[in-house]
Amino acid sequence: MKFSLSWLKEYIPIEMTPSDLVEGLTMIGLEVDSISDRYAYLDSVLIGRIVEITPHPNAEKLKICLVDIGTETLTIVCGAPNATVGMITACALPGTVFPGGKVLEKGLICNQESFGMLCSEAELGIGSDSDGIVSLPSDVDVGQKLASALKLSDMVFEVDLTPNRPDCLGIIGIAREIAAMQGSSLKYPGIDAFCAGSSISEYTSVEIKNPDLCPRYSAGLLSGISVGPSPFWLQDRLLSIGLRPINNLVDVTNFVMMETGQPLHAFDFDTLSEKRIVVRAAEKGEIFTTLDNKERNLLPGMLLICDAEKPIALAGVMGGVNSEISQKTVNVLIESACFQPSSIRKTSKTLGLNTDASYRFERGVDPRGTVFALKRAALLIKEVAGGQIVAGVVDAHPIPVAEQVIAMSTKNTNRLLGTNLDQETMSIHLKSIDFSVKKINEDILEVTVPTFRVDVSRHEDIVEEVARLSGYNNIPTTFPLIPAAIKPLYKQITIKDRIKDLLIGFGFTEAINYSFIKRSAVDQLRLRPEDSRRCVVEILNPLSEDQAVMRTSLIPGLLDTMHRNISWQTKNLKLFEIGRVFLNTQRKNIQPHEIEYLSCLWTGKRVENSWHGSNLDCDFYDLKGVAEGLLKALRLEGIQFTALPSENCCYHKSGHAASIYAAGELVGTIGEVHHEVLSNYNLKQTAFIMELDLDLLITRIPGNKTYKPLPKYPPVSRDITIVVDHGIEVQSVIETLEKMDEKILENAELFDVYVGENIPEKKKSLSLRLTYRSTERTLEDDAVNKIHSKISRMLIKTFSATLP
Amino acid sequence: MENTIEQIREDALAELANASSVDEIKALSVKYVGRKGRITLFLRNISSLPKELRPSAGQEANLIKQLVEERIKEALQRIEGSDLNSTDYIDVSLPGRAAIPGILHPISQINQQISNIFKRLGFDIAEGPEIETDYYNFEALNFPKNHPARDMQDTFFVSDDIVLRTHTSPLQIRIMEKKHPPIRVIMPGKVYRCDSDLTHTPMFHQVEGLVVDKNIGFSDLKGVLTTLVHQIFDEEISLRFRPSFFPFTEPSAEVDILCVICRGKGCRVCSQTGWLEVLGSGMVHPAVFENVNYDTSQYSGFAFGMGVERIAMLKYGIDDLRKFFENDFRFLRQF
Ligand SMILES: [Zn+2]
Repeated sequence: MKFSLSWLKEYIPIEMTPSDLVEGLTMIGLEVDSISDRYAYLDSVLIGRIVEITPHPNAEKLKICLVDIGTETLTIVCGAPNATVGMITACALPGTVFPGGKVLEKGLICNQESFGMLCSEAELGIGSDSDGIVSLPSDVDVGQKLASALKLSDMVFEVDLTPNRPDCLGIIGIAREIAAMQGSSLKYPGIDAFCAGSSISEYTSVEIKNPDLCPRYSAGLLSGISVGPSPFWLQDRLLSIGLRPINNLVDVTNFVMMETGQPLHAFDFDTLSEKRIVVRAAEKGEIFTTLDNKERNLLPGMLLICDAEKPIALAGVMGGVNSEISQKTVNVLIESACFQPSSIRKTSKTLGLNTDASYRFERGVDPRGTVFALKRAALLIKEVAGGQIVAGVVDAHPIPVAEQVIAMSTKNTNRLLGTNLDQETMSIHLKSIDFSVKKINEDILEVTVPTFRVDVSRHEDIVEEVARLSGYNNIPTTFPLIPAAIKPLYKQITIKDRIKDLLIGFGFTEAINYSFIKRSAVDQLRLRPEDSRRCVVEILNPLSEDQAVMRTSLIPGLLDTMHRNISWQTKNLKLFEIGRVFLNTQRKNIQPHEIEYLSCLWTGKRVENSWHGSNLDCDFYDLKGVAEGLLKALRLEGIQFTALPSENCCYHKSGHAASIYAAGELVGTIGEVHHEVLSNYNLKQTAFIMELDLDLLITRIPGNKTYKPLPKYPPVSRDITIVVDHGIEVQSVIETLEKMDEKILENAELFDVYVGENIPEKKKSLSLRLTYRSTERTLEDDAVNKIHSKISRMLIKTFSATLP
Repeated sequence: MENTIEQIREDALAELANASSVDEIKALSVKYVGRKGRITLFLRNISSLPKELRPSAGQEANLIKQLVEERIKEALQRIEGSDLNSTDYIDVSLPGRAAIPGILHPISQINQQISNIFKRLGFDIAEGPEIETDYYNFEALNFPKNHPARDMQDTFFVSDDIVLRTHTSPLQIRIMEKKHPPIRVIMPGKVYRCDSDLTHTPMFHQVEGLVVDKNIGFSDLKGVLTTLVHQIFDEEISLRFRPSFFPFTEPSAEVDILCVICRGKGCRVCSQTGWLEVLGSGMVHPAVFENVNYDTSQYSGFAFGMGVERIAMLKYGIDDLRKFFENDFRFLRQF
C-alpha cells in the first residue's frame, strides 16, 4: 500500500518528520517497506536559459536552441512554439525518466544532435500545460534543479500490510492510525453535497440472488457526463502512488478506492439491458470477456454482476468489455459493493486474475463503507466530468452486518500481556481508533468494534489493539515460571547428536542436500522396477525438473555433492548426511511414510596426501571399519555383515556390498558404488557408500549399561592356521566357533588372510588367534591343548580345511 | 712426585670436571683407567713399593680407581643428558599422521547452539513430519481455506490435502494433541516454500518454540526471546518487538534485533535501518487452543519461530544462502 505525504495531509495534519512517521507506523504494526522522494525522477531536470535560437536546417517546425544550464551551454532541438531567447525553462538531461516511463536519450532529431530536452509541465508530470515548454520568471537562478526551484517536494511511503489489516488499504485508514498515534483527529472528505432523494429508483434497480456472496450492493447514477482526461490534481495524486491515469471516470473510481479502501466500478449505463443490475452466481459453462480482453471460462459459483440478460462484470475482480466506460459514455452507474472475501479469492485464484479490487475484497472491505465511497465518487465525477447526479442511491442490503460487541476484561488483558495497565488507559487507546467503549464494571469494558476492522472478532484481538497502541516495547520483560519436571518427548534427537559427533570424530563432514531430487534419479540409481523407492512423492508445483520429487534415498544427494566437489578439485571426500526419505503410500491424501536415514560416502584417498609412506585409495574395509566403529559405539549387539546377493545389488557393485544387521534386524547396506551409477553421475573415481535406517536402529540401542566383573585369571592364546576354499566367509568360521559353546573359549580373532605362494589355487589360508580363559582357575597347558585340538579338528572337518 | 696417587686423583677429577664432550671423556677414561692409564699403571707398580706400604697404597689406589670410574660415568650422563651435542633428533615440523576431524554443517552447529540454550532453560525438543496434511499445516493453525493469510507462505503441494510443511508450526498442534500443559518445547526442522532467489531457497530450516501453562504472558515471551538473542549473539544486541500478524498467534509480534553487522548505524545488510528481522512470535491464538481442546480460560501460551539459515548468515557473515546446500568442502571446512 502506497501513499504520499501530501495526500495523507488532506485528512490529518502531520507534525512528525518522515523518519519519525516511518518509525511510528512500523511500531504500531504498519511496517514501512520504503520511503522515497516523489520527485526523484526530476533530479536531472535543471533550470536553463535559452541564449540563442536558430532554425533547424531540415525541419520547419523545429528550432535549434542554445541553452545555458549554468555549468555549460547545450545544443537542444526543440519544437515548442513558445520558445524564445532569454526564456527561463526546464531542461531535462539525457537519462531522465519521464512519468510515462520514457527515458530521454542523447540523439539525433532530423539529423541534428540534441543534448537534452526542453519540457512542458505535462511532460514533467508537474502540471497540466502541454502546449509549450515551462516558462519561469526571469529571476529564477539558472543551473539549479527544477524541483528545488519550484519547491516540489513530497515523500512516498510504501507500507507492507499484513493480511489482517484491509482497513489500511485506503489512505484514510492509515490516517486513522496516525491520528491515534498523534492524538489528533481525522478530517473525512465531505459528502453533504450529495443530493438526497430517491429518483434513482425510477431508473434502475439492484437484485441480489446470492446474498451470502454479496451482503451489500450500493449503486449510484450520473447522467450527462463527458469522459476525458482528468484534471492535473487528480492525475498527480494517482501518479504519486504509481497508478496510471486513464480517464476522469476511471481515475475517480481509482482515487476513491485508494482513499477509502472501497473498490468501485463504473458501468456505461446505456449498455445495460433493462438498465438494471442482477447479482448472481455463474452457471456451468458460462464464458465472459473481462476488461483485459480475455475470454474467461467461468466455474459454477463464481459471482457475477449482470444486467437483465448477461454478465457485465466478474464481481469484485474485473469489469467486462461489454459495459466498459468509453469516450462516448454519457450516463454512468457506479457500483460500491461488499462481497464475501473467500468467494472473491477463489475466483481470483482460479482465474489467475489479481486486481487492486480483488486484493481488497478478499481481505474484507467495510460493509458500512459502501455508501460513503459511492457518494464521494459521484461528487468527484460531477466535479471532473460534469453531468448530474441522479438523486439518491440504490442500496441493496439483504444481510445487514452487525457491529461486534466484545466484553473485555481488564484483568485478563493484563494477564495475557504481563502488564499492569488501568482500565482508563485501555479505554483511551481503543477510542483513539474509533472503537466505542462502555464501562460495565471495574473489570469489564464493553467494546464495540467498528465494521471496518474485519479482523477484530474476539477478546484477544482487542488485547492486541491495546498492546500495540500502548507500545510493545512498554511491555515488561519477564520469565515464565514453570515447574522443573522433565518428560522427554523424543529421545532419538540426543542419539542423533551422538551419531553426528562420532562421525565427525571419524573424519566425516556433514552435508545437507535438498529433500527434492529429479524424477530420473531412481533410474540413475538402477533401482529395480519393483523397488518401493521408485514410488516417489511428486510435487504438483515443483520449481524445476531437478527438484520435482521427494527423495527416497540420500544417495543421489551425496553423489551430486561428490560430483560438485570433484569439479571444484576436492577429490578426497568423507561425507555423511542425516535426513528423511519419503516413501509414497500410494493413497491419495495420505501422508507418505517418512524414514530418517544416515548415509555415508567415502571416496578418494584413505588419508589426505601425506609424507607417511604409501597413500592408498580408500576401500570397502575402510568404510566397513567406520560402520563397525559406529555401531559398536552405540552399543548395538549382534552386528553382522552378510554379502548382498547380486540380484539385490542395484547401485552397489556386485560382490562388493553387504547387508548390515544389528540385533537380528536388517538396518542397512554398505558397498562400492556400481560403475554404471558412477557414470550416470559423471563420476570417474569410485566411491563407497553406507546407508542405515536410523529410525529402526535407534529402537535397537540397548538402554542400560551393566558392569561385568573383570577376569581374575590369565588368558592363554593358541594360534591356528587352516587352508579353506576361497569362497568361505570368515564370519562363518567365527560363528561356527561361537556355536561350539566351549566355555573357556573367550575370543576368536582373525589375524591373517593369505592367498598366494604355497597355497593352492582357489584356496586361502586363515590364521586365527583363539583366546582361552576360565573364570574359575588358571588354565593348564594340557587342558588348553586338549580343547584347542578338538576345535582344530572340528574346523578342519566343517570347512574341509587342511593344515598348511 | 708427580705420580703420587693423590696427584693422579686431583688431575683426573679436575680434567673430568672440565670435559665438555663425550669424546673428551672417553679420552680421559683411556688416560686414567685404560689399559695403560695412569691409575692402572700405578696399581701395576705397587709391587715396586716398600712392602709395608703396599696394602694401604693398593687399597687407596683401588678406591680412587672406583671414584674416577664413577665420575666418568657421571660425566657421560651429564653430557648425554643435556643433549647439547646429540645428533639424535626428529623433524617435529613434519605433519603428524592424519587424524582430521570432520565438520558439522553450519546449520547443524547453529541448531545445536539454539537447542543447547533452550535445554538449559528446561525446554524439550521434538521433531515431526516434513510432509503434512492441510489440517496441521494450515487449518488447525487458524489459516482458513481461501484466506489471504495462506499467501504469506508459498506452498509446495503433493495433493489437495497434502503439502510440504511451510513452517515447523504444525508440530505445535501435534504436541498439544498428545500432551497437557505445562509445555515448553522447541521444534527444529526442515521447511519448504516454493520460492528460489538470492534470499530464498525452496528448503530451509526453522526452529519453532512453544510454551503453554497457566499465567503465561506476552512479557514472558519477551524474556525468553531476549535471552535467546543475547545467548546467540551478545548482550549488547537489543531487541525491538513490533505488532505483526500470524493467524495462529494473537497478539503477534515480529522481533527485530539491532543489526549485528553495523550495530544500528545502518548498513547494506539491514537496508540502512539498523534493525534485522529475525523472529516471528506471539501469544497462541485461542482458536488454536480450541482445536486441541485446551481450556482457553485456564491456559495461555506463546510461540515463536526463526530461520536457522538467517541466524547462521548473520553469525558467520555468509552472504549467499544457496551456499548452505551446495556442500562445497571449501565452504564447510571454514566452520
Ligand atoms: Zn546494519
